[in-house]
Amino acid sequence: MTLSTKFLRSVLGACGAAALLALALPAAAGPTQYPLTVKNCGRDLTFTQAPTRTVSVGQSSTEILYLLGLAEKVVGTALWLGPVIEGYEEVNAAIPRLADNDPSFESVLGAKPDLVATQFQWQIGPQGVVATPEQFAELGIPVYTSPADCIGKDNSSGGDGVRTAKFTMDLIYQEIDDLARIFDVKQRGDELIAELKAREAAARQKIASLDGKVSAVFWFSSAELDIDPYVAGLSGAPGYIMATLGIRNVIESEEEWPTVGWETIARANPTVLVAGRMDRRRFPADDIAVKLKFLETDPVASLMPAVKEGRIVIMDAQAMNPTIRTIEGIEVLAEALEKAGLAP
Amino acid sequence: MTSLQLPSAEMGAGRARPALAPVRFAAGGLLAAVTLTAALALGAAVGETSIPVETVAKTVANRLWRAGYALDPIDEGIVWNYRIARALVAACCGASLALCGVVLQSLLRNALADPYILGISAGASSGAVAVAILGLGSGFVSLSLGAFAGALLAFGLVALLALGAGRGPAAIILAGIAGSQLFNALTSFVVTKSATADQARGIMFWLLGNLSGVRWPDVSLAVPVALGGLLICLAHARALDAFAFGSRSAASLGVPVKRVYAVLIAACAFMTATMVSIVGSIGFVGLVIPHAARLIVGVRHGLLLPASALIGATFMIAADVLSRTVIPGQVLPIGVMTALVGAPAFAMILIHRPVAR
Repeated sequence: MTLSTKFLRSVLGACGAAALLALALPAAAGPTQYPLTVKNCGRDLTFTQAPTRTVSVGQSSTEILYLLGLAEKVVGTALWLGPVIEGYEEVNAAIPRLADNDPSFESVLGAKPDLVATQFQWQIGPQGVVATPEQFAELGIPVYTSPADCIGKDNSSGGDGVRTAKFTMDLIYQEIDDLARIFDVKQRGDELIAELKAREAAARQKIASLDGKVSAVFWFSSAELDIDPYVAGLSGAPGYIMATLGIRNVIESEEEWPTVGWETIARANPTVLVAGRMDRRRFPADDIAVKLKFLETDPVASLMPAVKEGRIVIMDAQAMNPTIRTIEGIEVLAEALEKAGLAP
Repeated sequence: MTSLQLPSAEMGAGRARPALAPVRFAAGGLLAAVTLTAALALGAAVGETSIPVETVAKTVANRLWRAGYALDPIDEGIVWNYRIARALVAACCGASLALCGVVLQSLLRNALADPYILGISAGASSGAVAVAILGLGSGFVSLSLGAFAGALLAFGLVALLALGAGRGPAAIILAGIAGSQLFNALTSFVVTKSATADQARGIMFWLLGNLSGVRWPDVSLAVPVALGGLLICLAHARALDAFAFGSRSAASLGVPVKRVYAVLIAACAFMTATMVSIVGSIGFVGLVIPHAARLIVGVRHGLLLPASALIGATFMIAADVLSRTVIPGQVLPIGVMTALVGAPAFAMILIHRPVAR
């Protein structure tokens, strides 16, 4: 590295630090003026006061409420994919869990909510398996849907939908901002967003020198062990993680989770292989130990340089889906690349 | 091999033109060997990624004759461990399904009979769903084993029902329908009760047939089952000819009707259950290939059985290659390919049938 680029980097670093400082000190936010109307997933939600009893369906939505310091306003949660975000174990244990998966319509109503927050339209949406927003509207209960599930995503075909535009953390930041305004905690919301953006920038900084030189594949799971795996395409959360860190995704499909053969993956020769760890035990390959064993023993996958040289990154599956945890995915991958000695 | 040593299969053809029998047999065998080799070569050479034909040839030379060419180990692994294993299993699967199609259409005297009429694919679905969604076997039982057990269970039930209902072709078909409906309903019940969308999608993907998980251990299961099945069917070729005019006339020709029914139907159930448990239920091959083969070689089973097996094997390898290449970078379930090609083919056969009569 020449002296001038070194100088340039230190200047840039200083600028980055200044920017972080600026982000960490948001302008003082005024209190929310009620009645407040929020545009959300094609509907207008009007609030005459901050909600006091919220039912949250979806782990990411629940964790955002916790991070905003609103746990005491949450009266019921559902749809859990893994342990709650670190530091909120006790808070979470005190709040009734209506269901591990989909709650029933009546169990949601039974908690007497004045707001329902849902992470997916698959549960509460036009074809929701729990209910439609109209069913709640008839009872005067507004439904707030995560923007990540309706912006750039087509859920009209039912099921878990198809992403039509790339996911970005901005959708999560929008959710934080919307909820902060609804609950009149705008300042906490701004701080949280600034904090997350700073973490994102710090992770990027960590491996800035790798820009464009590293490629990766994200393996979520496989329907059967030897079968073509579900890997990350360009439009989901891993696509955002990789784009943020300047890592090339060897899978060029626009889909969120396409199935791609090991033949294609092995020949694409990614620098690192990111494997999902999850509590789900639907398919044998959900288990991270089974994934690692496959990589060790498959006659072709075991020959991939990323596998032979141990460049396998284990990441929580929550971070691989568009959630508040996606930020952790960015950090985990940046740290692993740094540790692997790939970044100076 | 002379015609004397041949099983009854060749006697049918031999009787028609005795002098030509050995020549025709040799020519047919050669044609079959060439076609199958060409199909296997296609399966090895074409895939998701492009590997030069030269590399493919050298890989085969390395593995079969220890030729010792220096090759990229990943390329060599892909060709040998993925593609060739996959093509061999595809061939076994296509051959088995087509054979069973011929046998069942003949035994049941029904043009719409296929290997799944015995409730096997419905049972396999239930078994797979029980393992994947209900978590039966708590992680120690694979989807394949669950499917195999489900298939045999469903077949057992259908067989019992058919025995109770009078044993004739109609009884078997109706028992099969009842069994299939029951097991399909069980599958739907489990899926709608407890599966989430991506879970259902994963299962659907598997049920539509998928060869991407095939490795050499599957080959060592599929090849003996397919070859064994072929031999059993060939040994009964003349009996099958006799069934053309119904089981009564077959009995009057000295065919042990009950034994033939039992042996052939059990053999087909076993072959189909094995193939379904390896690759999922791939549709249309067992229904369409027998009709196509009949149009080409006629109705004598001595020729029809091996011809169906050959066409089924070749068709399945080709469908698998298509399923891997038709959308770049993505693999379609092979059941979609066989049905896409199979459905129009079946329509054409239906249109041409009056002419053939």
